[in-house]
Amino acid sequence: MINTGVAPDHMMIAPILIPIVAGAIMLFYNDRNRQTKLIMGLVAVGLTFLASIELVSDVKSATEQGGTVVGLYRLGDWPVPIGIVLVLDRLSAMMVMLTALLAAPSLIYAAAGWHGKGQHYHSMFQFLLAGVNGSFLTGDLFNLFVFFEVMLAASYGLMLHGSGPERIKAGLHYLAVNLAASLFFLIGVALVYGTTGTLTMADIGRALYWLDDAERVLFHAAAGLLGLAFLIKAASWPLCFWLPPTYAAASPPAAAIMAIMTKVGIYVILRLSLLVLGPDAGPSAGFGAPVLMIGGVLTMGFGMIGILGTPELVRKGGYLAIISSGTVLTAIGFAQAGGGSLMLGGALYYMVGSTAAISAFFLIAEPVSRNDEGDDDAPVEDDGFDPLSERWAPMGLGTVEDTTAPASQRTVSWLTMSICFSLVAAMIAGLPPMPGFIGKLAILRGAIQDNLSTAGYLPMELWVYAAMLILSGLGALIALMRFGIRRFWAEEGPAPRILALEVVPVVLLLGMIALQTVRADALLGYTRDTARALLEPGVYRKAVLAGAQDVRAAPVSSLAPDPAPAPDEAPEAEAAAPETRPQPEPAPAAEMASPETQVNP
Amino acid sequence: MELILALAIGVLVGSGVWLMLRPRSYQVIVGLCLLAYGVNLFIFAMGRLYVGAAPIMPKGGFVDPTAYADPLPQALVLTAIVISFATTALFLVLMIASRGVTGTDHVDGKERHS
Amino acid sequence: MVEQNLLLLLVLTPFVSAALAATLPIGARNAEAWLAGLTMIVALVILGVLYPAVTDGQSITGTFEWVSSVGLDLTFRIDGFSWLFMVLVAGIGFLVILYARYYMSPDDPVPRLYSCLLAFAGAMSGLLLSGNIIMLVVFWELTSIVSFLLIGYWYQRQDARDGARMSLIVTASGGLCLMVAMIILGQIAGSYDLEAVLAAGPQITIHRLYPAVLILFVLGAFTKSAQFPFHFWLPNAMAAPTPVSSYLHSATMVKAGVFVLLRFHPALGGTDLWFMIVTGIGLATLLLGAVIALFRHDLKGLLAYSTISHLGLITALAGIGTPFALIAAVFHIVNHAVFKASLFMAAGIIDHETGTRDMRRLSGLARAMPVTAALAIIASGAMAGVPLLNGFLSKEMFFQATYVWNNGSFLDNFAPYVAVVAGAFSAAYSLRFIVTVFFGPPATDLPHEPHEPPLLMRLPVAILVAICLAVGIFPQQVLGTWLQTASLAVVGPDLPHFSLKIWHGVNPPLIMSMIAMTLGAVIYLLPRRVIDSGEDGTRIMRKLDFAHGFDWLLQMLTTRLPRLALRVLSANGLQAQLRAMVLLSLAASWFVLRTLDWNVPMPKIGANELVFALLWLVGGTCAVGAAWQAKYHRFAALVLMGGAGLVTCATFVWLSAPDLAVTQLLVEIATTALLLLGLRWLPKRDKEIPGDNNLAARARRSRDLLIALACGTGMTALALAVLLTTPGASVGDWFLRNAYVEGGGTNVVNVILVDFRAFDTFGEITVLAIVGLTVYALLRRFRPAPESVERPRPQLDAEEQALEAYLFVPAVLMQWMFAPIIALSAYLFFRGHDLPGGGFAAGVTLAVGLLLQYVAANVRWVEARLTVLPVRWMASGLTISAAVGAGSWIFGYPFLSAHAQYVDIPVIGKVPFSTAMLFDFGVFSLVLGAIVLMLIAIAHQSLRVARPSDTGKELK
Repeated sequence: MINTGVAPDHMMIAPILIPIVAGAIMLFYNDRNRQTKLIMGLVAVGLTFLASIELVSDVKSATEQGGTVVGLYRLGDWPVPIGIVLVLDRLSAMMVMLTALLAAPSLIYAAAGWHGKGQHYHSMFQFLLAGVNGSFLTGDLFNLFVFFEVMLAASYGLMLHGSGPERIKAGLHYLAVNLAASLFFLIGVALVYGTTGTLTMADIGRALYWLDDAERVLFHAAAGLLGLAFLIKAASWPLCFWLPPTYAAASPPAAAIMAIMTKVGIYVILRLSLLVLGPDAGPSAGFGAPVLMIGGVLTMGFGMIGILGTPELVRKGGYLAIISSGTVLTAIGFAQAGGGSLMLGGALYYMVGSTAAISAFFLIAEPVSRNDEGDDDAPVEDDGFDPLSERWAPMGLGTVEDTTAPASQRTVSWLTMSICFSLVAAMIAGLPPMPGFIGKLAILRGAIQDNLSTAGYLPMELWVYAAMLILSGLGALIALMRFGIRRFWAEEGPAPRILALEVVPVVLLLGMIALQTVRADALLGYTRDTARALLEPGVYRKAVLAGAQDVRAAPVSSLAPDPAPAPDEAPEAEAAAPETRPQPEPAPAAEMASPETQVNP
Repeated sequence: MELILALAIGVLVGSGVWLMLRPRSYQVIVGLCLLAYGVNLFIFAMGRLYVGAAPIMPKGGFVDPTAYADPLPQALVLTAIVISFATTALFLVLMIASRGVTGTDHVDGKERHS
Repeated sequence: MVEQNLLLLLVLTPFVSAALAATLPIGARNAEAWLAGLTMIVALVILGVLYPAVTDGQSITGTFEWVSSVGLDLTFRIDGFSWLFMVLVAGIGFLVILYARYYMSPDDPVPRLYSCLLAFAGAMSGLLLSGNIIMLVVFWELTSIVSFLLIGYWYQRQDARDGARMSLIVTASGGLCLMVAMIILGQIAGSYDLEAVLAAGPQITIHRLYPAVLILFVLGAFTKSAQFPFHFWLPNAMAAPTPVSSYLHSATMVKAGVFVLLRFHPALGGTDLWFMIVTGIGLATLLLGAVIALFRHDLKGLLAYSTISHLGLITALAGIGTPFALIAAVFHIVNHAVFKASLFMAAGIIDHETGTRDMRRLSGLARAMPVTAALAIIASGAMAGVPLLNGFLSKEMFFQATYVWNNGSFLDNFAPYVAVVAGAFSAAYSLRFIVTVFFGPPATDLPHEPHEPPLLMRLPVAILVAICLAVGIFPQQVLGTWLQTASLAVVGPDLPHFSLKIWHGVNPPLIMSMIAMTLGAVIYLLPRRVIDSGEDGTRIMRKLDFAHGFDWLLQMLTTRLPRLALRVLSANGLQAQLRAMVLLSLAASWFVLRTLDWNVPMPKIGANELVFALLWLVGGTCAVGAAWQAKYHRFAALVLMGGAGLVTCATFVWLSAPDLAVTQLLVEIATTALLLLGLRWLPKRDKEIPGDNNLAARARRSRDLLIALACGTGMTALALAVLLTTPGASVGDWFLRNAYVEGGGTNVVNVILVDFRAFDTFGEITVLAIVGLTVYALLRRFRPAPESVERPRPQLDAEEQALEAYLFVPAVLMQWMFAPIIALSAYLFFRGHDLPGGGFAAGVTLAVGLLLQYVAANVRWVEARLTVLPVRWMASGLTISAAVGAGSWIFGYPFLSAHAQYVDIPVIGKVPFSTAMLFDFGVFSLVLGAIVLMLIAIAHQSLRVARPSDTGKELK
């Protein structure tokens, strides 16, 4: 389904538009009717999920016909690289689906009262989804920045939802750190444009071949700065200190959906490092791979230390997210350095599972560690009396004394909680037969297979990685077991009151995890194909640049003579390029050709 | 020309970074604004510099790109300006809110004990 | 095919009935017992059916697909060895369940016990029957988890919790090692199929990774079967209810370790390394366990250490690895399971009936409970290896194996002596058990009056003891064929013919065991008083207490060190985090850019640029000034910052980018105004912050100064480097050429914003909307600091009085200027497509107009005159832009395709009107709404202060 813009597949933009429009429409309603907004939100999420199913089945069906498939959506019908283009491939489709799957439980959980603790929770939530999906789907570097900002702005809103000293303090740090990160991002984007003269990711990969040394160095600087910005989002040590306090302070449903955000950082690193600096990138091949490997392993170590060293459960969740990031980052590093696709495939499978588990963990952490005063989160100044209430009215803001009444009062037993908790813990610790175990197994096996078959022995860094994989799991196991024993076995006294609405989402996520266990082979097959596709960026580039516009082309109805023939094929454009470029030696052209011509088996 | 602009960017970023590393939230916000200026100029500079080029093209017909400032970085800067304005406003509010709940304007919500 | 399904059934049935058992009511002891017992019987029947298929070395394999892509399939395989083991698991399981029915008191929640027991049986069967080495690890870990739940059954008790935790940590970590070993093993063998791996023995043992694999493998096995130095978890696991102990620690859990040792002997065994490690550890454990057992006063403690020592014996045999030794190992596995299970049950009965397990208090029970006594005595005779009992035979074989087998190594020559000494000690502790508990004067101070237990509670013990006798007297007839079958599966076709006989004539083993017996009697009877009276064990043993060592280590590794490391490795303050980021970026840029050669000619500053230079002299000064003033003179800093901003605008004008200039200017104004509104909520800074000039603070400042300088220089270098490279063909050129023709506008920048890259704008306004909402939500909950509330309006601090004065004249002007501002914004909006301006500029202008009203005049005055509904504006803005974008779908174009060129409206005909302008209107509406919302939210806060009396009135 490589569409050439003749019949654009509007399904591709649905995951971005549905949430934005839903969020906008919600704004027409007074925030008093939160139940209505909840329904609308659920409907929107459902639609997004359907769209994601459609997208995934598209890529899959096309793959079964052979070859890797990349779908394009040229916004404003402008050709690449003039306009912004959305690019759909196996990875982005998968991530979009994952987002939709995490969204529903979080929304349901919010109905337990959290969405009533502040203003416009549901709109924020939808905007967050839009930002996340946009970041997954866009194929344009600056547009990626914009969607990052959408996502971040919404996450500020969600994270601060409910206010209160803790949130405000943590929020200040979170905001400051991310503002700085965005500045890095901007500088990086600017440098990329300044050197390659384009913003389309695929086009950057092409233009990279024509850079002379000085420009290449500058480009590497850009890559470094961008990488820094993304590593901050992906919470790699030592850039991850903002994460545990932020997620701990955020309300559980917010934290649960924000669990996907670290994965957005990882997604971008995965996408760009393999697309632009991948094995076929000539002199720039493998740039930054060591950083990813070392940083990833350090991150895993730090996460393990954190989960063992921090007493409170919610923060442990933050460190779990860090561990998961580190695990995937290291795998990406190996892949970029030329490691096989099996390991990366395993890592992707692991990422899906662990993200769901972490989301579930954030949902269950608050009720489990709740002491019996119901929720102790009610903001101090929340006396239902707003001295300014009458002032808001004329502005159409006359609303919402905050209502924390849950949508349903049914409660569940403490035993149920303990079972859910131990299941989530088992998943996170990677105990069999949970996906955590299968994922790590797949990673280890992939790694060992690739090296043992070729080299006949295992390099040192691989041993270190394997050890960290095992140890981090063990650390999580010990920490969570210690907590569980203390909380569920040692402590006497009445169990807190837990709403069914707070358990249902966890059960949903657990069901999703169970599904991943049962259908492990299918999912693993998918992620492995994805990894294989990622390691052949040529296919992606070719698909995106097919019918690309030569930037030197004159307008159709131009009267003036046309300096360069306006070819419609990317390769010819390169052929024409040397007229204005410092003549590059033919070698890169050959290198260029090789990845382009090879097609996925 | 290039040199001056580069220096200007340097000065803005330098003072911005210094402020960003200060403990008082107000210093941080001013620092972020200065940084934003610097970065915007930097993005703009990526389109190279054109002094006194006509900003608006004549209606119709083919124009020689070398006679005009590269418009794309300008568009990027515009977007960047808006976004940084929004986030600055948010930071401002968060700053005063934090001062309200913590009673201090230290970024960590408590005075350093040393 | 039937057999395959039977295999699956064998594994699944326990799990299913475990699920059933969990759902039964708390009190239903009989129902539980029936369910569980039936399950075991079903298993036994299935095994009976399968027996013919596993004789003389055959095996059945059934595979069910699961995760084939990582070689993880549900492959089940049964051969003689696992068959025999399964019989133990099911048979002893049945007896244990029967026993538990009477052992557990009515107020124990039995469903949990039985469902866990059944689940454990299932996990164990899976472990024994899995024909895929990864599956084996899966079930291995499963047994660890379930045993954790079983040991922690009485979780109200501290010792139960600790025991459970310890056993899980030790065995689960071992399992992880085993997993890595198995993965590598599978890679070397080229398949995860058990048979393939076993067949690949030769190429495994020569592979360069063999030592690593072996170490990881034995780590797994040893932790599971409590080998030295991991033996300590087993005694602590005695906190479990006795039925659990007698199941887990006789027949199943701890035997899993020796099971894999024997199972993988063909693949990994036969090397010197294997012999040294496995036999060495085995002998060490054998001796250590026996010695410590003698000094335990707790019945179950004694049995636990004896279990450890017997497991050591089996391990040693596995290490020796001759066919004969392997047969002996299998044989002893069976024997030990039988007599140890019965002994645990007997100990449980004694505990149950007398209320204590302390041998110092127990005495002369033979009178009170003769039958139990008789059974227990026979069983412990078997444990000691007394002739005519099954223990004797396998121990003889062990002596034989240690005696004859010979690779000349020190360990090998040493083995027989260790064997004898250990045998002596085991005789000693068995003797002690018999003598102290059952003979001597009747005990007086027991919690309960001892008497015989109910018949059915004694029955399991009786059956097991009967087996001991039967095997002991007619070994060949009772067990011969089964043992044959099992050993055939372990050793392989070249199994030497053997027959179990009691009397081999007087041969070294016999002499050895005679020595052991007598020595044992001496060891116990001579220092008897000392042993019985003293505390647990001798002083040395108490000194090297592994359990405490482990606890200490665990505490160290999983709590103290992490806490410390966390404090060292993480930065909680914001400054530290930002500093880390900045430093990293510096490092990265330096690392990359150091290779850049700077031989490009530095551009000279021409005369016509002097103005520009001067401009930036001012700008730079402003920036530095702001940096310098921001701490103590906020207002000044604000003004200076504004200065820097203005210079930036001027630069944009100078460098022919009017749009930027306009927008920058507007945003500049908006920001400044917002900051002005915010300033008043910050604390007064008329006196210096304490400790602001001490050394540390100065040091920090100078360090940050250096960092800042580095950053400044870096950015300068970066910018210069780019500016000095010649631009290549960039997308920008295309825009310049085609903006008018394709986009229908001469103001390229604006055309890009609303058409070419309209999607960016779409996202950007979304950001604006979100931020507006966030600000509003945040300020709804705003709590001003007390002193800034109490501060009455007249005595605002200096800054704000300055502000008031500064704004007085503007105040009047602005009220006049409001209308013109509206006009201006409209103008800006409409000329947008061709000249600098556009929706955003217009929106900001209008908002700024409002905002200035707020800054200048008081809030009520403004709001009395105009009401905007900001959220509505935002909503409609976003909706309009989205709708305009989606409109293009009707014409089959992608989102946000501008339609000026494509569509002409039927009736009116072609109108020179680009849908981009509609989109721009959406932008305008949203920008207006968002900024006004923020503004209202902030401005309203002043009312919290200005008219505190109001709030009271307004309530009524």
